[in-house]
Formats: sequence, structure tokens, C-alpha cells
Amino acid sequence: MKVVIGVVGNDIHVVANRLIELSLGARGFEVFNLGVNTYLEEFFDAAVETNADVLLISSLNGEAEGWSREVKLLRSKYKTLDKLVMVIGGNLVVGTASAEEIVPKYKKYGFDLVFHQVDLNTGLDALEVYLGERKIS
Amino acid sequence: MSLLQQEREIILSNEHVDNFDFAEVEDFIRNADKNLFISHHFKNKTKMLVQPRGGFPTYKKQFALSEFFVEANVDVLPLTIDSNTRLNDYATAKKMLRLSEENDVDMLNGYPLVTHGYRTTRKMVTHFNKPVSLRHGTPDARLLIETALASGIFDIEGGPITYLLPYSKNFPLDKAFLYWKYVEKICANYSKLNEPINRESFGALTATLVPPAITIVIQLLEMMLSLEEGVKSFSVSFSQTGSMNQDIVMGAVIKKLSRKYADAINCSDAVINLVYHQWMGAFPTNKDYAEQLINMSTVIAAMVGADKIITKTREEASGIPTKEANAKTVANTQYTLRILNGLPNIVDEEEEEILTLEVRAIMEAVLNDSADTLWRKVFNSIKSGIIDVPFSPHIINHNEMITIRDAKKNIRIIKRGNVPIPDRCFEYERGQCDLTKDTTSMVNDIIHDIGIMQ
Repeated sequence: MKVVIGVVGNDIHVVANRLIELSLGARGFEVFNLGVNTYLEEFFDAAVETNADVLLISSLNGEAEGWSREVKLLRSKYKTLDKLVMVIGGNLVVGTASAEEIVPKYKKYGFDLVFHQVDLNTGLDALEVYLGERKIS
Repeated sequence: MSLLQQEREIILSNEHVDNFDFAEVEDFIRNADKNLFISHHFKNKTKMLVQPRGGFPTYKKQFALSEFFVEANVDVLPLTIDSNTRLNDYATAKKMLRLSEENDVDMLNGYPLVTHGYRTTRKMVTHFNKPVSLRHGTPDARLLIETALASGIFDIEGGPITYLLPYSKNFPLDKAFLYWKYVEKICANYSKLNEPINRESFGALTATLVPPAITIVIQLLEMMLSLEEGVKSFSVSFSQTGSMNQDIVMGAVIKKLSRKYADAINCSDAVINLVYHQWMGAFPTNKDYAEQLINMSTVIAAMVGADKIITKTREEASGIPTKEANAKTVANTQYTLRILNGLPNIVDEEEEEILTLEVRAIMEAVLNDSADTLWRKVFNSIKSGIIDVPFSPHIINHNEMITIRDAKKNIRIIKRGNVPIPDRCFEYERGQCDLTKDTTSMVNDIIHDIGIMQ
């Protein structure tokens, strides 16, 4: 299973990004890490280029929200991304807000799975369950 | 006119610089008070020098901060530069400075030195008559350093590796080497006029599980790059690792090897100092705990035998500290240093030997690169992963090395990537760690190891 990962926008927080790469690798995924400071177009381009199954975007400084508003519009411009599973995680708000407020908002932006301040392995467990269920159905 | 002077005239002639007077600046440095030179204080010091961090956008607030520091008995004043200036975006720095001045709200995370200019800043520097250390993070610092030196700031932090690999994703590394070569030349030339200008490397790097061997190699290389341009006073540095023993071992090895490598390139006349950074990783949000951590860092710095310590504040976890909190750390650190007497002499020969072997092996690989100049050798070595900095965001960095903490909290290399760690040392490092765990629990350990002080 191929996953493209990276930190969106002008966010340079690299520590978790490296740990996500290590953890996904350990779980048997083939990981393409775009690193920090990555723009939406670069994510989608990489997903096309690698023929990825999953796009996992992360954010720490919270600026993901500004970017995520453009996800649907941008994705619709690519023809081969219909099956791409979209995941976003990290700290998804500038300031504070609860997961109850944030998760529906991001689902509306076009993400299948949303993890706001969720422990890394809990999030990746949920991703594996989701991918397993999708395969069956 | 020399090529360097031609380049200087280009750098210093633009709309952000108010008529740079080369002859006047040279005269100022030639006749500047010795107290402005940290190299002079290093020569005559009887105790570890204490330096905080700090920068505010407006002249008024920076002046007030410096006053607080002086009252707290500071040895070296800091001048931390805002992020726009660091990225050469002087237009934004100017706009944000104006907004800060008009609204009494800080719109910049530091002092926009180029925007204030050297004539204004020099007034502040000469008023306090203390050495000032420039803290930034700039890959192309040519205009910034010209302005700093003209202002009377004679301690210049940074370097092509240590200001690039932790701070940038894709600024070209080869350009950074050439821009810093300019900085070294300017510092070297001014050093002939009065006391030497001091250059300081930023050994904290990413402050995230960087193994001592990598830190020391980068310190030695930035020192050599600086000395070969004629700099006569250089500070190598590192930050608290999380293990007192590892800090002491690192201090001993870096002192010995920096002298050796300086002598080996015929720079025996250069003075090398050691700077210690209080804990640079994630801080506890509990401010009382933060003070305890800061105090412990001071004790370790004394055990390491540092020549200068750079302090944190009790507000580290919550953002840019107030001048009160910042000055408080300075006073507390001075107090701790004053009462800290009769320190034991601790030597761990086995650890020193292992670390020395590692550093020598990496240095040999770098210096044996076939390129014709030192900066190209270093560039090639970073590109090929002979030098690999854990948790660097830069695309050129290999990110193949993996480090964790052993039971005593020493940072250990468990995967070496392309870094030529000798087999014997690698076995020793791995031998200290529990390697039976699967990667998932290893990742949890790494997360824990990063947040060790919280």
C-alpha cells in the first residue's frame, strides 16, 4: 500500500513527520515523504506520480484549515484520484477547539479520516481498520 | 578594487540601507571600546559568561530589555533577529516594524536590525558598552552581518550548516556556503583593526536526539571554514543532551579536538572557546519546573567547563518571554554560578575514546572527499549522507540515521545510515540499548525521549 505524507503549508515542524514515516514503514506501507512546508498541489501531484492509495496530510501550527478549504476544488482537477483515501491529522486549529467541532468540518472539506490531537499509533490503527473495511466492501 | 569590495558595494547599495559609509565604519571598529568585544572578555574572564536570548521589534523595547539585563548583571547582551529579516524580506520587516511602533503591539519575533540600520543600533550598543551577540538563523546573512559589525556587534552566531539544516527545507546549501564565506572574510578583515571579531557556531542544531559525534563534526567543520578565512576567535557550542555524563564527555572531546583540528590547518594563533546551551528541547509548561531545569543546566555547564552559557526562561513553553522573566534567569544563573564551588573532576575514558573514534572517522571521510576546497568536501558529505542530522527538515539531509536514549538517557545511534561510524563504536552504542522492541514501541520510545524534560 502506498502512502504520500507531508506537513501542509508554511509549517516547518518536522519531528512528528519523521515519526509518521517510521511508523508507517514499520506497518508495511510504502512511504513517500514530502517533508515539511508542502503545498496542496505538491501533495496531489505526488499522489498521481506514485499512484498512491492514501494521502496523509499533517499540520502542527494549525494552518491546515486555511489550506483544506481548497482540497475539493483542487482534487476535482485531477482525473485519476477517485480512489485516493484522504487523511489529515495533527493539531488542526489555530488556538483551541474540540474534536467534535473540528472533525465534521474537515470531513466536509473532503477528508475520509480526521485526527485532531490524536496519539500517532491510535490514528494509524484507525487508518488500518478503515483500509481493511474498505477492501471488504 | 578587490572582488570582495565590489561584492560589498552591491550588498550595501539598495533601498534598505541608508548610505553605508565604509571609511567611517572602519574607523569606528578601529577605535571601539574593548568592552564591546567578547573576545576581549574571553581572554580576561574569571568566570563563565552569562548570555540570555532576546529581541523585540522596536528600539524602545529592545533598549528596555537590555536595561533589565544589565541590572541583572548580564555578561553578554543578546540581539535576536526577526524571522523576516532572517529570510531577507526587509520590506515586510519594515512594514511590521511600523505597525509595532504605531500600535504598541509586537508584530515581529525579533529586532529587525537592517531596518533600524547601524547608525541607530550603534547608539544602543555603545550606550550599554557590553559585548552583544547576534542571534539569527539566516542562510544569506551578508547584509545583516555588515550592519551588525557596523553597529558594534562583535559576536556573530551562525554558519552555513548550523543555520541551514535545522531551519530550512530547500534553501540551496552550496549558496549558503558561499554567503557565509563572505561573512567569515568580513569578520577576519575587521579582526585586524582591534580585538578579534568572534564567530560562534550553533551546535544545538535541531535539538532533537542529535548524537554527539554529529554535533562535534559539524562544529569542527564550521570552525575550520571560519579559521581558513582568517577568523581568530571562534566558539564551538553544543546544547544539553539530557545525560550529564554525555555532556561532560562531549565537552572534553570537543575541547581537545577543536584545538587539534585548528592546529592542523596552521591556525594555532586562533582562540577557541566553548559555549553551552541550556536545554533546547521541549520545556515543561510548569514554570517552577522550568526554573529547576534551567538551574540544572547551569550546574552541568559548570561541570562541562563552558566559557559561556546561553540561558532559557521560565516562560519557554509559552512563547517569547517577558523582559522580567528573561532578566530573572540571568540573575538566577549568576547566583548559581557564584555558589557553585569545588566541582569534582569527572572523566569517562571509555566514552571519550568511543566518541573520539567516531568523530575522527567521520572527519576523515569528509576530508578525504575528492573535491578541491573544504566547503565542497563538506557539501558533498552532507549530500551523500556522511553527515546526517536527525530531524533536519532540509531536503538535502539523508534522514537515515536513527537515535534513541539508553537507560541512562544517553543519546545512542542504533541506525547509522551512510555515516561512517566505526563498527566497534556502533556495536558499543547499540549494546547500550534494548533492541528487542518492535518499531512501533521504538517510535513510542523516541516520542518519550524527545519530551524527556516535560
